[in-house]
Amino acid sequence: MDPSTSRPAVVIDNGTGYTKMGFAGNVEPSFILPTVVAVNESFINQPRALTKSSNLAQYSAGVMADLDFFIGEEAVSRSKSSSTYNLSYPIKHGQVDNWDAMERFWQQCIFNYLRCDPEDHYFLLTESPMTAPENREYTGEIMFETFNVPGLYIAVQPVLALAAGYTASKCEMTGVVVDVGDGATHVVPVAEGYVIGSSIKSIPVAGKDVTLFIQQLMKERGEHVPAEDSFEVARKVKETYCYTCSDIVKEFNKHDKEPGKYIKQWRGTKPKTGAPYSCDVGYERFLGPEVFFNPEIYNSDFTTPLPDVIDKCIQSAPIDTRRALYKNIVLSGGSTMFKDFHRRLQRDLKKIVDDRVHASDARLGGNVKAQPVEVNVVSNPIQRYAVWFGGSVLASTPEFFAACHTKAEYEEYGASICRTNPVFKGMY
Amino acid sequence: MILLQSPSRYLLQILSNRVQNLEKGVELDCQWVEFDDIRYHIQASVKNPNVLLLSVSLPIPPPETVLFGGLPLGALEAIKAAYGVVAQILDPPRDGFNLTLKLNLSKLPPDEEHKHALLTKIASVREVVMGAPLRAVLKHLVSRTVPSDLGKPVALVHRPNESFFLVPQADKVTVIFPMRFNDSIDTVLATSFLQEFVEARRTAGLNNAPPCLWSPSAPQELKEAFTEALSANAGFVSFVIFPRHVEGRKLDRTVWNLSTFHAYVNYHVKCSECFMHTRMRRQVESLIQAPTKYCFPYGVWNCPADTKESKEHVPKI
Repeated sequence: MDPSTSRPAVVIDNGTGYTKMGFAGNVEPSFILPTVVAVNESFINQPRALTKSSNLAQYSAGVMADLDFFIGEEAVSRSKSSSTYNLSYPIKHGQVDNWDAMERFWQQCIFNYLRCDPEDHYFLLTESPMTAPENREYTGEIMFETFNVPGLYIAVQPVLALAAGYTASKCEMTGVVVDVGDGATHVVPVAEGYVIGSSIKSIPVAGKDVTLFIQQLMKERGEHVPAEDSFEVARKVKETYCYTCSDIVKEFNKHDKEPGKYIKQWRGTKPKTGAPYSCDVGYERFLGPEVFFNPEIYNSDFTTPLPDVIDKCIQSAPIDTRRALYKNIVLSGGSTMFKDFHRRLQRDLKKIVDDRVHASDARLGGNVKAQPVEVNVVSNPIQRYAVWFGGSVLASTPEFFAACHTKAEYEEYGASICRTNPVFKGMY
Repeated sequence: MILLQSPSRYLLQILSNRVQNLEKGVELDCQWVEFDDIRYHIQASVKNPNVLLLSVSLPIPPPETVLFGGLPLGALEAIKAAYGVVAQILDPPRDGFNLTLKLNLSKLPPDEEHKHALLTKIASVREVVMGAPLRAVLKHLVSRTVPSDLGKPVALVHRPNESFFLVPQADKVTVIFPMRFNDSIDTVLATSFLQEFVEARRTAGLNNAPPCLWSPSAPQELKEAFTEALSANAGFVSFVIFPRHVEGRKLDRTVWNLSTFHAYVNYHVKCSECFMHTRMRRQVESLIQAPTKYCFPYGVWNCPADTKESKEHVPKI
């Protein structure tokens, strides 16, 4: 038997904002890092020297510079303290954008953070439902060629998010996954483990937009935040203080009546001079998450609220799955962690559904009564890394190893084995 | 990152989190695997938040190495010397593991600096356990005491079913690594990497580094002792360690670097594959640019009407 199947698989969930990684069978990822690489590019753009000796020196310096990079929090702090490092974000809007940076990111994840030998473990990676087959092939190529992994499975994030809830209750592989990450928001209906590809809805509002909106609000109010730091501060404010309100007008009144209770203080130090500063955090505490429910306050191009998008998504799914889909709406991704986000979503969605039921009752004139539709938004404490947890559960089942693409298959057929994902099989 | 660090990042993270949030005392149960097939398992309960059970399993030893109760020679003493009262060795260890330590966090030194140093030391448990026999041999070199079995090669396990060899002599120790790789591309890269590595040792700045040698066949002194263990597809690397390499604080680093030499080479082979892929991607991009420029002198999207069909054949960059 292949000894690598007796070791736990490595599960890496690369998100736009954060990467979650760890070993299958654990309940928590080992590391949650910002998906960012700080590269030393000072050697790349140097003019070519003529003499041979300096060429050699430059060559070896270039090789060293190739190892001279950092990922995660280290990358952020390095790029702050010295100008030789440039930050590069390998994933944009849920899609890998820079493969060089991504390959380096994986290299550090495996060797520096998890410290495992990639030849010893099966790997489970994740992808967003909108990933092109070419990108999947690229991922397979890097994993098999560079890292020599014995087996690879590329899972679709929403399916994993559903699988995460699976252990909590019973086997429920039908539901709508509302995945609000840092760079992309998808509403994905899944029936019996198969993604209904034609009904996937994406909206251009995600965690990063909340951060940008908070940054804008704070700037407009004239808070004294250093300009180069304001995005980071806005992100921290979002992560620590934001919550979802039930009614925006009431919330404004509450804040005005008792400012002492609701207005928070943010303290920091200026990155250049090191001088301390403080600023107030006020309405943006509830206005930030409100972007999902009233997008027009942030962006005039896109004005459909998230509950409407979910409703449209379910209405476009096959009719026999709709009731089951309404019953199991699963949240995943860091940007669904705002307090009471699921309550607000459930209330708004329930209202839309009930209105429709009433309208059809009225049209039919009271002779036939429609059965009420059960709407249920599921929230659990591991929401932030639900996708990773689902991967961990999936990869610790014995069937996982049989479902993987193996190195032997890769060598026989090439990267095309990664092209299709079985969960989309219904589509093609 | 050029060298692998000796403390396990994850273990250190768990330990320092635990120490900082001692009063919260959440349930903890996780396991993971590091390179060279070293498995860790750590467990803690809510009832007794100060006590952590840390189990470690070591790679399966090849037949030529000698182990005592599943642990390398001198490992028990090394653990006792390194951790003192904080760690207690449980006998028998947890099922499926070679060593179980009961860590008592209430016995950590109170001041932050020492506490952190000790936690880092606990996170480096694999260095302490796996490096113990190597450390013992190198210590003889420091104290210049002549070991009893002079010149007789010793085999030490470092990877599952693989070992490396030491030839202790009065004034030097020769360390010999048979290099094996599973993948044919890795083998080729590792072979040339090692030849470059030996070459790099000859540059002026590295006169004090241990002399190293690469040869495709096994050195003579091993041939008599271990005939069956001497298959290597990427040749043999040997280092000669002199007393000046193991003086004082250098000993720790020498032990760690030697005992993870194979992992080091493996890491750099993967890095060079990464580097080559980056260059290949760049090359493909520039090659695609050439025909694009030639076929569409006005740019892909501004081409005249008669060539419009052909633009669909342009590969997407």
